[in-house]
Amino acid sequence: MRRLSIVILSLVLGCSLAFAAPKELKVGFVYVSPIGDAGWSYAHDQGRQAVAALPGVTTSYVEAVAEGPDSERVILNMARKGFNVIFATSFGYMDSMLKVARQFPDVVFEHCSGFKLAKNMGNYFGRMYQARYLSGMVAGYMTKSNILGYVAAFPIPEVIRGINAFALGAQAVNPKVEVRVVWTKTWYDPATEKEAAKSLLDVGADVIAQHQDSPGPQEAAQEKGVYSIGYNSDMSKFAPKAQLTAPIWNWGPFYVQTVEQVRSGTWKSESIWWGMKEGIVDLAPFGPMVPEDVRQKVQAEKAAIISGTAELFAGPVTDQAGKVQVPAGRVATDEELLSMKYFVKGVIGTLE
Amino acid sequence: MNPDMLVPLLAAAVQSGTPILFATLGEIFTERSGILNLGVEGIMLVGALAAFLTAKVTGSPVLGFLAGGLFGAALAGVHGLVCLTFLGNQVVSGLALTILGTGLANYLGTPYVGQEAPGFKVFALPLLSKVPLLGPILFNQDPLVYTSYLIPPLLWVFLHYTRWGLGLRAVGEYPDAALAAGLRVKGYRWVGVLAGGWLMGFGGAYLSLAYTHLWTNGLSAGRGWIAVALVIFAFWRPWRALVGAYLFGGVMAFQFRLQASGTNLPSSLLLMLPYALTIGVLVFSSWKGKGDEAPAALGINIEPSE
Amino acid sequence: MIGLRVHKRREPLGWGSFLVFLAAIVLSLAICSLLLAIQGKPALSALSLLIKSAFFSAWAVEDCLVKSVPIFLCSLGVAIAFRLQVWNIGAEGQFALGAVGATWMALTFPELPWYALLPAMLAMASIAGGLWGLVPALLKIRLRVNEIIVTLMLNYIAILFLDYLVYGRWKDPASFGFPMTPEFSAGGVVGTIGASRLNWGIAVCIAAGLAMWIFLRFTRLGFELKAGGENPRAARYARLSYDRLVILVMVLSGMLAGWAGFLEASANLNRLQSSIMAGYGYTAIVVAWLARLNPLMIAVAAFLLAGLRVGLEALQLDLQVPAAFGEIMEGLILLTVLAGGFFTRYRLALRRKT
Repeated sequence: MRRLSIVILSLVLGCSLAFAAPKELKVGFVYVSPIGDAGWSYAHDQGRQAVAALPGVTTSYVEAVAEGPDSERVILNMARKGFNVIFATSFGYMDSMLKVARQFPDVVFEHCSGFKLAKNMGNYFGRMYQARYLSGMVAGYMTKSNILGYVAAFPIPEVIRGINAFALGAQAVNPKVEVRVVWTKTWYDPATEKEAAKSLLDVGADVIAQHQDSPGPQEAAQEKGVYSIGYNSDMSKFAPKAQLTAPIWNWGPFYVQTVEQVRSGTWKSESIWWGMKEGIVDLAPFGPMVPEDVRQKVQAEKAAIISGTAELFAGPVTDQAGKVQVPAGRVATDEELLSMKYFVKGVIGTLE
Repeated sequence: MNPDMLVPLLAAAVQSGTPILFATLGEIFTERSGILNLGVEGIMLVGALAAFLTAKVTGSPVLGFLAGGLFGAALAGVHGLVCLTFLGNQVVSGLALTILGTGLANYLGTPYVGQEAPGFKVFALPLLSKVPLLGPILFNQDPLVYTSYLIPPLLWVFLHYTRWGLGLRAVGEYPDAALAAGLRVKGYRWVGVLAGGWLMGFGGAYLSLAYTHLWTNGLSAGRGWIAVALVIFAFWRPWRALVGAYLFGGVMAFQFRLQASGTNLPSSLLLMLPYALTIGVLVFSSWKGKGDEAPAALGINIEPSE
Repeated sequence: MIGLRVHKRREPLGWGSFLVFLAAIVLSLAICSLLLAIQGKPALSALSLLIKSAFFSAWAVEDCLVKSVPIFLCSLGVAIAFRLQVWNIGAEGQFALGAVGATWMALTFPELPWYALLPAMLAMASIAGGLWGLVPALLKIRLRVNEIIVTLMLNYIAILFLDYLVYGRWKDPASFGFPMTPEFSAGGVVGTIGASRLNWGIAVCIAAGLAMWIFLRFTRLGFELKAGGENPRAARYARLSYDRLVILVMVLSGMLAGWAGFLEASANLNRLQSSIMAGYGYTAIVVAWLARLNPLMIAVAAFLLAGLRVGLEALQLDLQVPAAFGEIMEGLILLTVLAGGFFTRYRLALRRKT
């Protein structure tokens, strides 16, 4: 009897050990720009490294993958090579990923910043606008000329939404403020972006914010002796006297959670749009020049956002032309946020 | 746009035009000797990276600047090798050099994107920067801009008042006659290619050490090609190159200021301005010129005799 | 004293020139290996991985073929201009305009069936691309403006124009504000051949290549093109004046690049978006030159360079080689082949100098 129970016990132990042993997972990442761009892809790669640190997981990536047929091939290759989870980090990869997802039902596909879904394909994004709102508050407090300059990349919804959130945040603490927008049509071109920042400085802006990944605009602000809002925290080392704060990405927790879900078999396809509460976006530490009372007010707002009591795009929200886009009494829906095509009042700039 | 913006705009024009100026002067040097070097864009990028890395490693922006010139000349040397020694087609060689230079700079520089190097800062010249109007525009710049002011007169003196300059020009206009007269045609052309590459490298170095203190893929953004066009606009003369380079710098700076002032024009169209202007400038030059400004033997390889 | 003297060869080198070509490729691969080693990558396994993943599987060959379609067409166009020594660097912009033209047709008449819409799109792409080739041609012959710069500037302008359209008036209302046109209707999509990923663009390539070969080999105009290139004065005795020849080659050039743009937009993307621009126009120049402007060789070279792009992705995925490595290879191959051309046209002899 005792021998039998030992046998049964060891069988049970053996089986549970087998289940508990981590299944080897291969996770692939597709980046739209080089990871050294100190911005978008860099942040994703930091997240990848968090995944790579997990036991039983190997990761790999391909960078600077053009959207279109190239990305389809890259994703296809990853699937063929037996990758279990593939993350595609740019909107333009959406259709390609969907095509490949249909051919490989056992592989999990996750698309960043898109909207299409499939049984084995989900999408994910972060509410960067929350962090931008907070950075707008800081800018609104610190400006003296009441002109804020925004060096903007491409007229796509997330950039537009970011500018609007920044403007709303600034206006909430300083109603006289105006935001001027200059488009560079680049994601990381320090020379062009610095020139754009200089042009904003020339029209009197004394805080420069940006959506691009290069520290060019930060340099311009520091050289002129004014303030700046970075994008991804490294920038403070480029402009220690100028950077007030920066909205930053933190993809690690999301990537780790997704991979663990796949491993444990609990992953399901959905549209994920995490915010500050989940830690996917955050505000970089304040620069030394930001006074204590400003810090406290901003931290208070941040806590309100995290707890859900603050509503950032609460109506009435009027656009540049005076039309009411979000009526009083309600908050902009996620759908409206994701497809934002207008600038709020107080933003001076074209949309294309 | 209000008139207060004019002085900052012109100052920005000078800064923006300086890398183009270096590159244009370098190409003038090369083309005057008879060699067409279309690899300017690639050479500028390699120069920018070399300057950036050298400054970062040694901590000295001056060494970085010199390194930019050195590596620019080295890459131009490849063009010289292919065209002067191996008699390859100059147009295609230049294009290949652009592709190679761009690829090399991006490949070797990828790990350094997002890092900063010690660079040059603005340094107002004591008395001169107080001169009304011109002072803040011309004399409130960084040391490399001041260096660039010296090159056109030096180049002009060299080309027109020294024996070697005369030899260089002769080699570019009448190589057969020059050869018969005992001039070392290949030697002069090598000097033209290498010295030109050196100046182009300086142009690239300016972008990563003074204009910004950063490196990224594609830092030059087509300025090398604009330089090639400006050589034609300048009728191959150093002084006119100044006008062209600052004009271009001005257009690039202008379209941003127009946006910042709150225009309704779509930014895509505004961004076209420098390129459309280049075409306009070429049309203007051809229309105004007599057609004989180019060095007569430009782009033609000397075939060895039977 | 011993010196080297250079003599022009009386006859071209024939088979030897192929060996020279091979030597050039080997040299450029050696330099590439050195560069890989500098970055700490295993050079030999990288190169073998490159070749294996580019050519040694069914889907790799498929990928290469798909990719070589636009490269081939652009290159065919570039080659015909180069034959006349008209340096058309504008294939990239002509490609963009062709895509724009085809998109306009597809968006304006989506209800048409494919046998009406596709030829209409092709026609519009031809007109748009041809126009973009005509402008530098006219500037060249009327005002003696250098076509290298004009075509290059027009590239930048064309790409910005494409951006302007996809960010503005042609933006898909259902795309959540992202810059892309609506998807083309079924009638506007060039379909795939059977179950493979190849599309009927291959047929267009074969037809265009054959037509070009016949034109150059068997017609008088084709011969005049070659003669006019080597000596513009000789072209005066041709039926077409030099000026007309310039217009002809630039329009043809632009048209062919425009076809490539149409096929990319229609067959591969099924819409127009900024990412359609992938540098095919510049690779086309490398291909045209390597193939010595010969249509059949262009097909081979286009396939090989497409393979380079495909293999490079494997290098990125497996060895994290930066994406710019492909440009280095292209540039080096072209430079070494150019240098190697010296040995096919000249021979060296040792001479005793007295």
